[in-house]
Amino acid sequence: MNQSKVMEQNQNNIGVLEEHSLGVKPRFKVGDRVQIRNMPYFFYTRSQMWARGVQGSIAALTYPDLVPEDEAFNVDGRVEQYYIVRFRQKDLWPGYPFDNDTIQTESPERWLEPVETK
Amino acid sequence: MSLRTELGHEREIIGTLQPATHSPQNWNYELTGPQYRAYMHPPHDVGGQFDVSIEHEEKEEEQWELNTYVTCEVLAWRGAWTAEERRRRADNDLGYTMYLGMPYYGRWIWSAAKMLVDKKHITITELMDKFVEVKSRYESE
Repeated sequence: MNQSKVMEQNQNNIGVLEEHSLGVKPRFKVGDRVQIRNMPYFFYTRSQMWARGVQGSIAALTYPDLVPEDEAFNVDGRVEQYYIVRFRQKDLWPGYPFDNDTIQTESPERWLEPVETK
Repeated sequence: MSLRTELGHEREIIGTLQPATHSPQNWNYELTGPQYRAYMHPPHDVGGQFDVSIEHEEKEEEQWELNTYVTCEVLAWRGAWTAEERRRRADNDLGYTMYLGMPYYGRWIWSAAKMLVDKKHITITELMDKFVEVKSRYESE
């Protein structure tokens, strides 16, 4: 990521870039409903199984960066927007006792798909 | 202990590393979709899996662990690999059995050696010869 960009603190206390660099146009905005795609496993991914198929919302846009799957094989040309995605703990773990607890995880754009809200 | 006895013990240990589910032949073509996905699943993605409780332990790094860490970082600094490639090799490519059985920094140094051989920075025969040389030096001390 471009370290010269000015960081600011948003309401979630997460450092986010003031403006987007590297020509990346984010697909999602804060508040959008998304879920983690169930992508095929081919040799390497950092997309976590525990979050796949669970609906959450975009809590923040972090920065554009390399895609880990590509970077792990020394392909460093492609850059994607990263997001902080927020889930309800109750949606993730069966029997979780507290309604208000949430957990946040970071995902590059390619791990996410939009959820149609009715 | 004779070499043959030593190798016999090693073979017994290898026998204990067999996974609970395994095919008696390696030519089975009857993998179901879910079984296939389970085999392809990256070993490091352990979040949400059931496990026994783990006792928290305060333990300082040993010298070989610090040496391993610095070696891997220097290799990255010199452009041999990135942190993500190291994670791919050390947390993923070595497979479930080694992932679950090797020490944390043991996986790091395994992946550094494998990377250097894969990328032809060193040859595997050079590595073997050097290993034997250094081991015999320590044994003679």
